[in-house]
Amino acid sequence: MKKNDFILIAVVLIIAFTIFAGQRLLNKNNNENNEAVPVAVVQVCGEVYGVYPLSVDREERIELEDGSYNIFSIKDGEVTMIEASCPDKICVNHPAIHSSYDPIVCLPNEVIITVQGNDDADGDNDIDSIAN
Amino acid sequence: MKSVKMNDIKRIVYMGALVSCAPIFCACQKNDVSQDYSSTTFFAMDTVMEIQIDGDETLLTEAQQQVMDLENRLSVTKDGSEVSKLNSAKICRFSEDSTEILTGALQVCTDTDGALDISIYPVLKEWGFTTGEYKVPDEETIEDLLSDVDYSQVQVAVRDDGQADVVIPENMEIDLGSVVKGYTSQMLADYFAENGVDSALINLGGNVQCIGRKTNGNPWKIAIKSPFTDSKTGILGVLEAEDVSIITSGGYERYFEEDGQMYWHILDPATGHPAKNGLVSVSIIGTDGLKGDGLSTSLFVKGLDAASDYWREHQDFDAIFVTDDEQVYITEGVAEKFQLSQEYADFDLKVINK
Repeated sequence: MKKNDFILIAVVLIIAFTIFAGQRLLNKNNNENNEAVPVAVVQVCGEVYGVYPLSVDREERIELEDGSYNIFSIKDGEVTMIEASCPDKICVNHPAIHSSYDPIVCLPNEVIITVQGNDDADGDNDIDSIAN
Repeated sequence: MKSVKMNDIKRIVYMGALVSCAPIFCACQKNDVSQDYSSTTFFAMDTVMEIQIDGDETLLTEAQQQVMDLENRLSVTKDGSEVSKLNSAKICRFSEDSTEILTGALQVCTDTDGALDISIYPVLKEWGFTTGEYKVPDEETIEDLLSDVDYSQVQVAVRDDGQADVVIPENMEIDLGSVVKGYTSQMLADYFAENGVDSALINLGGNVQCIGRKTNGNPWKIAIKSPFTDSKTGILGVLEAEDVSIITSGGYERYFEEDGQMYWHILDPATGHPAKNGLVSVSIIGTDGLKGDGLSTSLFVKGLDAASDYWREHQDFDAIFVTDDEQVYITEGVAEKFQLSQEYADFDLKVINK
């Protein structure tokens, strides 16, 4: 009786500790993905097309089904649309971005590029939305 | 005796075990405001729409449907919309909310002495701002098209049921794009409020509408976009807001360059050319989204002095004006709530008093 009780208690504690530790580890990983490492998230027609860390310089071509395209670059932690097949080029004229509240949008191609996990970059943090 | 004592110890230890489990459940509840909201992002009315509400997700589906309905009735580029029908047949029966938008838009046209003109559309098309195939039209073409631009020629006969018969002259075409998004954000705000939502943020392609405050009790922090294309952060400043719409117009939104000249999409109905009266951005903060939308365009056209006079005469909204010589003017009602961003901290911020 006494021995079994202690075994039960020990088992409960071990399970609790394992779940607790697992949760912490999971949270930590999530934080690393969502906050610690800033990423560019590319959405096409409402679907996530790709996620790219800002720490790696690259050029990427986004191919759309109808043959139109956008090319963006990541350089020195900033994202720029450098070329697009759209007629208005608003996305190409958009200044480089490195924080979340001012996404680059290409309306004709329905492409949105947002930066996530870098909100404190300018000290103008806590911004909920942008009027433009 | 002994067994009771044993039970007590057991209970204490079990409690201890449970308590040590508690952080597991707490760990899932991050203290993050954004997690209180349901949100959606979709493309409509030629722009990106983002809505977040402290409320049920089904309200978002319904809201999106309402936006699509309005778009189908009012888009100038959609065949079969009421506006398209009017533009081709020169006569059309407008549904109730289309009528409300049209009469609201015409009111702003009148109030601003034509600094807003919903019949400028054919000129806007000629410049290519509707398609992105930009060009500088020759003066003769502009003059010719301008002779048919006159909002006061739009005849609206409102019927008892709230619908209206609308008639326009032979060569006229109208576009309600300058007020539709403002109206739509207001409509959504009213819809959410009626359904018990007391905290929400709506951003329709840069037209921001806030309901209440954030769930943590703080006002919303809305950035105003920098009109300067060389801006590093893209942000002029931040406004604390609750229960208002914030609508910004600026040349930077849509423009092209030719022979070193910058041509933007906000046309002065008096000249048929891009409005260059010293302002590069106008933000209107108010409680009437449609009017705010129309005023952000028309006060941009008017220029700083006439716009300040307009504000003094009406005073039912607030405004932030940015001039091309890097001055920021703000009306006294929002002066305390606005702060320039770090990038523009050394800009002159002047308050416009009554």
